[in-house]
Amino acid sequence: MKNKLTSAMNIGEEMLAAGAEIHRVEDSINRILTALGACRVDTFIITSSMVVTVHTECGEILTETRRIGGAGTDFEKLHLLNSLSRRICSGEVAPDEIDAELSRVHSARTYPLWLEFVCYALIAGAFTLFFGGNVFQALFSLGVGAAVRLSLLLCDLTVKNRIFAKFTGSFVATALAFLASHLGMPGGADAIIIGNIMSLIPGIGLTNALRDIFTGDSITGILRCIEALLAALAIAAGYFVLAALTGGGV
Amino acid sequence: MPFGLIQVLSGTVGSICFAMLFNIRGRRLAVSAVGGFLSWSFYLLFELLTKNEVLSYFIVAALITAYAECMARVVKTPTTTFIMAALIPLIPGASLYYTMTSAFSGDLTLFGNKAVYTLELAAALALGVITASAVAKGIFAGIKRWRSRLTNNEQ
Repeated sequence: MKNKLTSAMNIGEEMLAAGAEIHRVEDSINRILTALGACRVDTFIITSSMVVTVHTECGEILTETRRIGGAGTDFEKLHLLNSLSRRICSGEVAPDEIDAELSRVHSARTYPLWLEFVCYALIAGAFTLFFGGNVFQALFSLGVGAAVRLSLLLCDLTVKNRIFAKFTGSFVATALAFLASHLGMPGGADAIIIGNIMSLIPGIGLTNALRDIFTGDSITGILRCIEALLAALAIAAGYFVLAALTGGGV
Repeated sequence: MPFGLIQVLSGTVGSICFAMLFNIRGRRLAVSAVGGFLSWSFYLLFELLTKNEVLSYFIVAALITAYAECMARVVKTPTTTFIMAALIPLIPGASLYYTMTSAFSGDLTLFGNKAVYTLELAAALALGVITASAVAKGIFAGIKRWRSRLTNNEQ
């Protein structure tokens, strides 16, 4: 049972890291361990920690705790983990095969890095148009989006701080937008900045945080709210520094 | 080209790109793209009907969740995938930006209004998603029970 508990927690940890909701992870761990013969399963999960206790048939009580690091969003991985946990519950995957299956999930495909640059550029360009920008602003936004992705990459390689990365991204986007508007970009800086902020702002994070609170995972919800608030403040700070330096935009 | 159409198309492009950043692939990427297209189309429609942005956000979030719950059962993947990708055009980015600029200009009344408005939009999205997923869960559980009763009767 000890090995089964560890395997189930490995799956749960990976699910959290791939961006699953708390109740889905708790549910999956409960189902897997019950399917593998536990009499009772108690799970307590928040964004940064997991605690799972199982009661085995022979009256033994086992507990395992995990500290969870940063979480990203990888729905391909989540899809594979979800179907793995389904197959474990239906008995299609034997308990001793779980680790091998899990390492196969690890080698799941991801898009290449250059495509992320393209996505950032397109997001910025598209949302510049979306929020009323003209074609010139949108074209310029494409370049700014790629520059923002580059600044995030540099942050990732050096300081490794998500909040600081948001600050840097917002700083770069605002700087380039102000520069363009100073050089006579028709329409000004606003739509360019908004287009680029879209890929930085914690909109999804805040919506998820509120969802957690409403569905009863209040601790996680509050943690995520604070994360979203900090990210929003960092973005605002990036804008403020430049606006103050240039006297409220150009 | 009318502005609404530009918005729907650029919102869809934004949704697809975000979906790729979330590592959504193949058939699921196509479902996400359709979701992004539907979300802003629905929004424009309900904004026209209700003249209330927050209410429209709530309705669209609920409709998109219904779409996501159905598609998630078709392609057998967690519902979150499609909700996250499809709601991208509804992220209150402009609203957050104007909250920032009003804070910088020192106009505290305007700042308060904009900040509360941004939060209202986010809360409307969250409530819409929760309401629809609760209803969907009830309906799908009902269908399951009804089906198992049918098969039991046949035996």
